[in-house]
Amino acid sequence: MSEDPTAGRTPHGVEGPITRRSFLFKLGIGLNAAAAALFAIPVLGFVASALRGKAKQAWIPLARVADFPEGETRLATYRNPFVVPWDGKTADIPCWVRHIRGNKFQVFAINCAHLGCPVRWFKESGLFMCPCHGGVYYEDGQVAAGPPPRGLYEYEYKVKRDELWVRAGRIPTLAQSV
Amino acid sequence: MRPGSGATTTLLLAAALALAACDWMPGRPREQDRPRNPREITDFATLYANNCAGCHGSEGELGPAREFASPLFQAFLPDPALRNVIREGVPGTGMPAFAKAAGGSLMDPQVEALVSGMRRRWARPSRVDASVLPPYSEADAVAAGYALGDPGRGREAFQRACAGCHGADGNGGEEGGSVVAAAFLGLVSDQMLRTVVVCGRPDLGMPDWREPPPELRLSVQEVSDVVSWLASHRPPDLEPARGASE
Amino acid sequence: MDLRGIGEWFESRLQLGSLYRTTAGHPIPRNSASWWYVFGSATLVCFVLQIVTGICLALVYVPSADEAWTSLEFLNYQQSLGWFLRAVHFWGSNVMVALMTVHMIQVFLMGAHKYPRELTWVIGCVLFIATIGMAFTGQVMRFDQDAYWGLGIGVAIMARIPIVGTALVDLILAGPIIGAETLSRFFTLHVFVVPGLIIAFVTVHLRLVLKRGINEFPVRGKGVVPEEYDEEYAALIEKEGIPFFPDGVDKDIVFSAAVIVAILFCAAIFGPAGPNGEPDPTLIDTVPRPDFYFLSLFAVLALLPPQIETFVLVYVMPVAILLLFLIPFIAGKGAKHPADRPIAVLGVVLICTTISTLAWLGISSPWSPHMDAWSGEPTPVAYVEERSPLELQGAVLIQARQCRNCHALGGRGGQRGPALDDVATRLTADQLTRQILQGGGNMPAYGKHLSPDETTALVAFLRTMRPIGVPGAR
Repeated sequence: MSEDPTAGRTPHGVEGPITRRSFLFKLGIGLNAAAAALFAIPVLGFVASALRGKAKQAWIPLARVADFPEGETRLATYRNPFVVPWDGKTADIPCWVRHIRGNKFQVFAINCAHLGCPVRWFKESGLFMCPCHGGVYYEDGQVAAGPPPRGLYEYEYKVKRDELWVRAGRIPTLAQSV
Repeated sequence: MRPGSGATTTLLLAAALALAACDWMPGRPREQDRPRNPREITDFATLYANNCAGCHGSEGELGPAREFASPLFQAFLPDPALRNVIREGVPGTGMPAFAKAAGGSLMDPQVEALVSGMRRRWARPSRVDASVLPPYSEADAVAAGYALGDPGRGREAFQRACAGCHGADGNGGEEGGSVVAAAFLGLVSDQMLRTVVVCGRPDLGMPDWREPPPELRLSVQEVSDVVSWLASHRPPDLEPARGASE
Repeated sequence: MDLRGIGEWFESRLQLGSLYRTTAGHPIPRNSASWWYVFGSATLVCFVLQIVTGICLALVYVPSADEAWTSLEFLNYQQSLGWFLRAVHFWGSNVMVALMTVHMIQVFLMGAHKYPRELTWVIGCVLFIATIGMAFTGQVMRFDQDAYWGLGIGVAIMARIPIVGTALVDLILAGPIIGAETLSRFFTLHVFVVPGLIIAFVTVHLRLVLKRGINEFPVRGKGVVPEEYDEEYAALIEKEGIPFFPDGVDKDIVFSAAVIVAILFCAAIFGPAGPNGEPDPTLIDTVPRPDFYFLSLFAVLALLPPQIETFVLVYVMPVAILLLFLIPFIAGKGAKHPADRPIAVLGVVLICTTISTLAWLGISSPWSPHMDAWSGEPTPVAYVEERSPLELQGAVLIQARQCRNCHALGGRGGQRGPALDDVATRLTADQLTRQILQGGGNMPAYGKHLSPDETTALVAFLRTMRPIGVPGAR
């Protein structure tokens, strides 16, 4: 493989008086830099559009209050409000609803606070258990055992005309709860 | 035939065979390994193994909870009661509710699959004389004209039929443990007591109501009586666990 | 024109002869044509295999959250030989990661990262990371429950990075949840971006091999002195150099062929991986597990004390990877032969043992509750017979209160807590009661969920749990 064929020659327009050729070369570089920037802005903007603050939370009606017997914890499912048509079932998000009494609830995200695996409620022992790394939570979402750094993520909720609403929309993480 | 066409044919044949053979390779995913939605599983063996075997034993016997592999029990327990126990559990006892609607994990068709599967697997109607079988619950017995259980009569019947193993006062003997311990009575429903008095635990050596010699046997009325005598040992402040039929 | 004429006509245009002399025909030291030096080329062969099978799979696969799983099922059950190509792609990826790792270890042990091949090592590290990236994104392509929750784990790890964590999560997910746009993003990475990077960096990697020569087989007691090395290497090539092709390639092609056959064999015998259940987040009866390359990480995440977990993930691991890159700048000269570098060898042994032990733990994951043990693992018959009615109720509660999800009986059940088969020899009735009600030692407190009767029954049963003839704890 022979090396750069221009090696040893003076590159265009680097030294010497400004000629038409060296001017054109510099102009070309400048134009290309500008074109690259013009090109890069929409490309980067497209890829990074996920970063721009879309609304990521909304109030969603979960179910009727009557569907949650007092003193029990039940699985409920809602359709994520921010979807694209080909999201399919991935936009059906489950959560655990603990009906304490009256209009007092706790609505827990399904995701373990450790690494996001789906916790399962065992009513007989009153515990949430995580199948991944053994995080265990009490019925009020407090950590009972295992590695989770905090209790279960809790949705904001409200009761409106006998319906339970939650504020939801994004996957909960340690940096950003539901 | 051109020379070499034999070889070509052989080669083509071998290629076709090789392609066909691919479908016979052991790595090919089999239909039965296909992932199934756990809510749609309705085959009895899988459902039973995943949900029931823990307490009731892998073969429906020799588990700590109720034995199923007894034709007498299968004849004794009516379908609605069985369905109800699976769906709602027996509050206050170890039996959890399995129906989705009651906070469990099973869909209605799955509960039905369990009911019918259990019958298919263990019911042997020909081996049980249903005409002499005590009614399933005390309420049924009363409806059929029998009297409510009476602890006094029950004590006598117990001492005749049960004391041999469980001791005259029910505190346990050589063969059987205590059946009047407060903690035990706090964990079982009256219906569970009735079921075990009638059906026994043949797998664990406890006879059913017809097995003892005729002079020791309980009558249908005495079944209710013995249960009421046992239940009378519950500490007065204790709510009895609700039976499935109540 | 005769054949020779035709050949010359093409040669005068394509100039393959000079291309050959600078590439395939480049001289290598005779002793470098060794069985030890076959892993790099075999890794490259695996990569080619992955490209071919990958293109085929892309003909059918639909990278949409709605359809991906269905198209995988179609590949497995309807598309003729679809399952086989999936299997080859899967086993090819496993073997590629394995061979790449072996190549890396071999290169390190033979001192090939030292002067003048530091950059080759650095590019190799980039390729290592890119390949692991292919493995992770590939696991996501198999869009099933493991993939879905695996993404969840990745997101949870990213979110732990200070300041930029949330932005990184947004960038990865491309939406507020794991969904269609996430899968598209990973598809793009898996099919366009990362393979493109790999091709580019493999090109640089190979150019460096051509330009600075393949590492000579190390000699005991002989180290690298940068000032003298170039001359020595030139002399070595002068004295006993052979062209890589055809004289030095024999072992490479034999090994590569064996690797391909082995991959096809594994594909035919063991078949493809998954997909397991449909990636429907509402199906929560799932036990997510990563592919084998990430089992050790999976284990680390379970075993680290929670207080230092984020620190290890966010700082220690990147620093460890940085150190990997910096190896040739830390130890860029001196002894090459492994026998002269005990610390290097010890380090390799230590790292390999650690990672395989962790991966092994990751397979059995004793820290995870067995979610279905309580209802699916029968109480051993021996623990049922000869028990009083109260003790039997205790045995029921051991199951019904999910104790067995963490405690084994007769070797079955969770291993998170101690097995209960001989618990009565360790704990008295009072100790059992206290442990059950108050928990402790990573066991939840059950006080609020057990009635006095239930506790009595549990303790009565547990007190029977001792081998015949061994007295209970007092």
